[in-house]
Amino acid sequence: MDRNQIRKWLKAPAKMANKYSLHAIYFCTGCGIIEVPPVITSRWDAERFGVIPVATPRQANLFLITGYVSVKTLRAIIRTYEQMPEPKYTVGFGSCPINGGMYWDSYNTIKHLDKYIPIDGWIAGCMPRPEAIFIAVTHLWTLIDKDMANGYIRYRENYNSYRRNQELALGKLEWPPLFPVSDESQGNEQ
Amino acid sequence: MNDSLRQKLEATFKDILIAIPEESRIAVTAENDGVPAILRFLKDAGFDHLALLSAVDWIEDDCFELCFILTSYMQNDNEYTDSQRLHIILKTPIPREKPQFKTVIGIFPNAEPYEREIHELFGIKFEGHPRLTPLLLEREYEIPPFRKDFDTRKYVEEVFDKIPLVEEKDK
Repeated sequence: MDRNQIRKWLKAPAKMANKYSLHAIYFCTGCGIIEVPPVITSRWDAERFGVIPVATPRQANLFLITGYVSVKTLRAIIRTYEQMPEPKYTVGFGSCPINGGMYWDSYNTIKHLDKYIPIDGWIAGCMPRPEAIFIAVTHLWTLIDKDMANGYIRYRENYNSYRRNQELALGKLEWPPLFPVSDESQGNEQ
Repeated sequence: MNDSLRQKLEATFKDILIAIPEESRIAVTAENDGVPAILRFLKDAGFDHLALLSAVDWIEDDCFELCFILTSYMQNDNEYTDSQRLHIILKTPIPREKPQFKTVIGIFPNAEPYEREIHELFGIKFEGHPRLTPLLLEREYEIPPFRKDFDTRKYVEEVFDKIPLVEEKDK
């Protein structure tokens, strides 16, 4: 352990523990997932950074969305995201979740993933190198330190808008709302 | 192999067009009604693998074209070489006004997902198919999206670009 960080550990131990044990849900979307196996195995060894893949969303707190998101995948992404325990962090990987990338005029690919779930950070590029994941992780540490990785809080606060957008894209959702939804008129819950 | 098969095909079936675009390729064009018989004949001749069933939208000619691509795993008494590997493509035009075809599941059972996919993306109905339910798509489309008159950019502008950004509350 870095001795310079002892004060931080004493001040906010839970936050530091979160920061150094990011459990990434192993969710494969699009072509970017091809970068993830070398990242988690011996070549780049993500465990140096405390990032380790886990099998189920209920044990995860980092969601890496690696590539274009089709409408069908969006349904799975929302379900996975809502199952993850808080605090949870999402990172969009590659240019396709940012604005559609090369699928900007596709009939079945949603562009702008942040219309549907909150995103804490983006990794631009097509493909980003595996090193970019580590740069993103270190950035995410900084954001967590400064309480700026607050996607899950924004999700709770603006759940009306997110849920409405999800229903616009997917039609009627077959699962109940995660948080109480107030009337359509003016989102003013809590 | 090319020539003997070509002669056999021409002797057995009328109203078919056979072209050999390159070595180890045969392109057969046939009418709709003749397709099951030709498929059965080719299956008996050793082409036991339906590698792909696909469709093309020739919008200028006002027809769809179904393409059956057949290959064979073994040739010449289980002796397999690359040069002997033969691909056969069987094409058949379907009018755009009445996009219908008889299912070929009875001959090649693995045609089932291909036919579902074509039904979904091109809107070609396969009679006798047990379940033509959606396979890949999640949304409803007025025009099946792989048809040439489907305007993807207009669709994207009307659907995905209209979804608003999430307005965040001020803290």
